[in-house]
Amino acid sequence: MGTVHARSLDPLPMRGPELGVQPDDIEAPDIEHEPKQEVLENKNVVVQRVHIDGLGRTKDDVLTYEIAEVFQAKNLIDVMRRSHEARQKLLRLGIFRKVEVVIDTSRGEHALPNGLDVTFEVTELRRMTGSYNTMVGNNEGSMVLGLKLPNVLGRAEKMTFQFSYGTKETSYGLSFFKPQPGNFERNISLNVYKVTGQFPWSSLRETDRGVSGELSFPVWKTNQTLKWEGVWRELGCLARTASFAVREESGHSLKSSLSHSMVIDTRNSSILPRKGALMKIHQELAGYTGGDASFLKEDFEIQLNKTLFWDSVLSASLWGGLLLPIGDKPTNIADRFYLGGPTSIRGFSMYSMGPQSEDMAGDYLGGEGYWAGGLHLYTPLPFRPGKGGFGDLFRTHFFLNAGNLCNLNYGEGPQAHLKKLAECIRWSYGVGVVLRLGNIARLELNYCIPMGVQSGDRICDGFQFGAGIRFL
Amino acid sequence: MTLVAEAFVSQMAAAEPWPESATLYQPLKEDQILLSDCASSLAVQAYLRMCGLPVQVVCRANAEYMSPSGKIPFIHVGNQVVSELGPIVQFTKAKGNSLSDGLDDIQRAEMKAYMELVNNMLLTAELYIQWCDDATAAEISRPRYSSPYSWPLSNILAYQKQWEVRRKMNAVGWGGKTLEQVYEDVNQCCQALSQRLGTQPYFFNKQPTELDALVFGHLFTILTTRLTSTELAERIKSYSNLLSFCRRIEQTYFEDKSS
Repeated sequence: MGTVHARSLDPLPMRGPELGVQPDDIEAPDIEHEPKQEVLENKNVVVQRVHIDGLGRTKDDVLTYEIAEVFQAKNLIDVMRRSHEARQKLLRLGIFRKVEVVIDTSRGEHALPNGLDVTFEVTELRRMTGSYNTMVGNNEGSMVLGLKLPNVLGRAEKMTFQFSYGTKETSYGLSFFKPQPGNFERNISLNVYKVTGQFPWSSLRETDRGVSGELSFPVWKTNQTLKWEGVWRELGCLARTASFAVREESGHSLKSSLSHSMVIDTRNSSILPRKGALMKIHQELAGYTGGDASFLKEDFEIQLNKTLFWDSVLSASLWGGLLLPIGDKPTNIADRFYLGGPTSIRGFSMYSMGPQSEDMAGDYLGGEGYWAGGLHLYTPLPFRPGKGGFGDLFRTHFFLNAGNLCNLNYGEGPQAHLKKLAECIRWSYGVGVVLRLGNIARLELNYCIPMGVQSGDRICDGFQFGAGIRFL
Repeated sequence: MTLVAEAFVSQMAAAEPWPESATLYQPLKEDQILLSDCASSLAVQAYLRMCGLPVQVVCRANAEYMSPSGKIPFIHVGNQVVSELGPIVQFTKAKGNSLSDGLDDIQRAEMKAYMELVNNMLLTAELYIQWCDDATAAEISRPRYSSPYSWPLSNILAYQKQWEVRRKMNAVGWGGKTLEQVYEDVNQCCQALSQRLGTQPYFFNKQPTELDALVFGHLFTILTTRLTSTELAERIKSYSNLLSFCRRIEQTYFEDKSS
């Protein structure tokens, strides 16, 4: 295992008192030799050397950026703080399982009396981790194999591979991620994938095989992403009774699109945030880099959160989107928006709202424009059972959701579109319980009362269960 | 079709009369459709005209994928979608239109046998020439089949179709045949048809049946389609009664409107 010796500063030889400090304990250190106590906070120190112990395949140059700030510390508290920050930076690279910091006085020929050595003791992740799961879902069983190779080439690159073999469908995905050394927030990611999906609300089956390349970088307070994607889409009818409108969309098409998205996220957590706001704007332009599909798609997501009295949180969110076809061809069912269900407008069945085929099958065809808004009041469970432990994962919430989904006739002007989106609004209200799962997902059980139901919409009034990552 | 599916189709079909808005779907006529699909489509169109049932022909680039069985042509009648000549004949029979009611059992069996002959010989020969002959595949079939799609999807789909047809040819034992042998098979098939036709106007009595529609579809398409070589058309031209048969049906059923 190698070590990293960062460049040391002024080489003046002297000796100083012995001190061994862990940065995570902010308490006065034990002094072994000196009988009198020194006030350490304002004592000027100089960081002479920063080591990283325990490196195997990681290359040095990518780490020097993360630890560079430690050299600029001027006093002991500063050293401890900067070492802690450097430790966080090393952990977020995703290549170390454990990072510990040891701060010691300088030794050796060039040691200053107030010189310090900071050592980061790291344990690298294993070269390859694998996982194997079997899943049983909607009438389908599948075997999922996952492989993760963190830090493949030594500079925090990550390669993941997932393969799912099921009784009905097979899908796979291979992804390569590379951050810029010194600037982890700037990274590129390349993906190759095949996914299949079955959508019973539209009687549609879709198989996508694609490649994509994504470039992310921060600009001021926002995070920007540019992406190119090329997808071979194959659509088919899920059942013989599929409507003719869906049958007409069956077949193959090629979509080659450039997309850009901007995210500003000041929330303290992505699931059940207590404060902060989220704004996400995404646009996609297809057709100018080849392929058959040709459209401009815009969508946005806004969420605001504010803590009120008594530990309750008021949250308001707004979603919207627009799909504009370019050229004469009409839009494809796979590009349109869908609305409804436990993750968007509660009280309605999954994606069962809006334009529908006219025959018996009543398949939902999606719409070219939509908006949806939600107002939530989250409170802790009544009587706070299990407070401080398990009970903290639950919240009660009162909600009001509203939205609309329709096709727009682009011959008319924007005034007509706004009017169309404002007519026949579907909305619902209710109360429910939310369970937070880790940092990524949440489960909800709600009692919903849908209103403003238009003919053809499928509702789910009464109890509705939902699980997912992104909720209105 | 299985017995259960047949019963289902008959029951659904018998309920309503033939609507004015019936449509027949096939691939794009100018740029995309291939010989075998054109022949099958023309056979169905001829059959429906013989029954006196109006149908509108609509061309779609994804007709092959729209079809419930994956084969061209298919018709959309009311709420029903039915593909290929056999099921379409059953479907119209359930609605009370049939061309073969006047035949007795022996003749009906003979008709079925000849239809099988055409399907196994002529249709397979057409598929062989289109996809297994390298010259035709490269010059005509692949470019035409992939014309509605952009690169690289066009190449992927064309080669996928070629491999699928070649696998099927191997499965029915035609994989090892040469082009000459295929032409000879076509010749023999035409000879059998010519002998059965003799000097009659149609294959059975003086009324056309689905066999006439099927034979017309294939022969007329072969005669009027440009391939890399004219050998196939030449083999048919050597049977004059088949030529006059095609001309007769064209004049009777296709001349009043443009087909």
